[in-house]
Amino acid sequence: MEKSLSEYIGLSKNIDNSNYSKKLKVALLSSFTLNGLNEILHVKCSDMGVRYQSYISGYNQYNQELLNPESDYYKFCPDITFLILDIRNFLGDNFHNFHILSDDAKKEFAKEKINHLENIIQNFEKNSNSKLVITNFNIPSYSPNGIIESKIKFGLHEMIEKINNSLRDISKTHNSIYVYDFNQFVSKHGEKNIFDYRQFHLGDIQITFNFMPYFGYELMSYIKSITGTNRKCIVLDLDNTLWGGVVGEDGFDGIELGQTANGKAFVDFQKELLSLWQQGIILAINSKNNFDDAMKVIHEHPEMILREKNFASIQINWNDKAQNLLQISDEINIGLNSIVFFDDDKLNQTRIKQEFPEVLTIELPEDPSEFSPLLKELNDFNVLQRTDEDTKRGQMYTEQRKRKELEKSVSNLDDFLKELDIKVKMKKSNEFLIPRISQLTLKTNQFNLTTRRYQEEEIKNFSSNTKFIVGCAQVLDKFGDNGITGVYIIKKNDKSWLIDTFLLSCRIMGRGVENAILSQILLDAQKNGIDEIQAEFIPTQKNQPAENFLSDFGFKKQDEMWIYKLNNEIKLPNHLKVEIE
Amino acid sequence: MIDNDVKVIIAKVFSIPESEVNDESGPENIENWDSFNGLILVDELENHFKIKFTISEITDVKNVADIKRHLKNHDVS
Repeated sequence: MEKSLSEYIGLSKNIDNSNYSKKLKVALLSSFTLNGLNEILHVKCSDMGVRYQSYISGYNQYNQELLNPESDYYKFCPDITFLILDIRNFLGDNFHNFHILSDDAKKEFAKEKINHLENIIQNFEKNSNSKLVITNFNIPSYSPNGIIESKIKFGLHEMIEKINNSLRDISKTHNSIYVYDFNQFVSKHGEKNIFDYRQFHLGDIQITFNFMPYFGYELMSYIKSITGTNRKCIVLDLDNTLWGGVVGEDGFDGIELGQTANGKAFVDFQKELLSLWQQGIILAINSKNNFDDAMKVIHEHPEMILREKNFASIQINWNDKAQNLLQISDEINIGLNSIVFFDDDKLNQTRIKQEFPEVLTIELPEDPSEFSPLLKELNDFNVLQRTDEDTKRGQMYTEQRKRKELEKSVSNLDDFLKELDIKVKMKKSNEFLIPRISQLTLKTNQFNLTTRRYQEEEIKNFSSNTKFIVGCAQVLDKFGDNGITGVYIIKKNDKSWLIDTFLLSCRIMGRGVENAILSQILLDAQKNGIDEIQAEFIPTQKNQPAENFLSDFGFKKQDEMWIYKLNNEIKLPNHLKVEIE
Repeated sequence: MIDNDVKVIIAKVFSIPESEVNDESGPENIENWDSFNGLILVDELENHFKIKFTISEITDVKNVADIKRHLKNHDVS
């Protein structure tokens, strides 16, 4: 349930966010009165521990702000800009008069409007490095053409659709431009709710007070992604969450799944979860049950949508739910603040809320038919871009679970590594790899020697610079493909090479892959007649796993640098194969 | 009854103590009472009393007494 606008305005007056570690600068540009939105975003950001700073353009000043490189708006340097336009203002008199124009004049008008948007966007890209979210236009339910709107050669609705389509095309080809589907927002909540003629005439208010908080919620999807406060994993209970009834009491045939109305609701919920899994959201089970009873349903029930392979961690036992949740977080190596917890039991919800406030605990409604719409409403799973690795993530975590099971079953680490049959493919950076390479530098914290963060643009520049080598490693084994999980960036000097960046995704740590990659860099340097390799270790709160890597490998410390003389022998790990592409 | 409800809502919308609200309170003597907050007040009153003011009623309001008068017109007592 959303709070009311006046509650948000009240709350926003008492925010002390001076000690939040994350910061965000937001600009709101609009063509109509958006009072209250700023307060809503401020409160919502503070709730997530994000320090919110904002710039709000004067009433309908967005054109001047975006077209003038010296404007206060550009001086503010926002991280993200919301450009919120309305169709009445945008079309001017032609909102009412479009139907009386000639066919040619109509086409000309639409073209002019699209050019106007393109011009604004070009200016934005020239003057800002940040993200721009632009709203598309609501197609009014009314048409002056009445029932023959669709028979008209170029009707009002068709023209607005054309403008919306152009906006969509722009966002496809421009990385920093996003289109928020305002038309969908209006159809979700209803035109009569969103637009109130009285509020419009009194103060040019085009989103009613009652629905402004919902609009703010929608914009938070972008803010959560850009501040990294989005979620990556859903932890699920089983009984009365994934199916109706209690399998331990009602039995395999007694639970509700498919067939009945309730049963269909659970199937629908599972389908929605599967679709999130297919887009890279990790699923896990936390259930008090007899393991065999529950697994029989997961393996054999004909109506079950989610199967064992969809779960990265399976905790079915009689342990404390909080303890299980920690186990899951540990097993898949993901922070508690990335987890969403679904459990029908109020006591369990309270337990997790108290123990781990950073977990997003959902208050599940009693009626399972509300589960799937509730999940669709959550704006916590959005990403600003999706790489191949993201879509394969669910599968990769399942493979990871199988590796862990193998690790438990063999007696020592060497046997485990041999059994895994690891293959490392070394690749030089190219246009398809650049987004992933940048992504890894931005989010790898643990095995990272220097923790230097690079945007795509910077990786692109290094890759085309002959003084640098940008490479990455894909890691495969008998359970599957771990994807691109290692990155290195080398600065080439005449006699020595400097390792600017060397990192490994946490999911493949501890398998000798780091040694294999480093050995190849050394061999490459040797071949190029280089005398020594220099490397740095810059300690952070999180990169202890990489602390001893250089000294263990044989680097010697001189002042602030770690040095490896290339006349030394270079040892190669023998449990894995390396391919160079 | 309505007197008190109106007082509570006004105090909340303009962030002032209830004791400072009286029939003469209005945009002239309450600092936060600008046109936007005035509309928020309308919205809160309408949601609370389940009524809808006309535009003329809204633009006519100069003080709390006017609000109470219009509420009576909507049979709120």
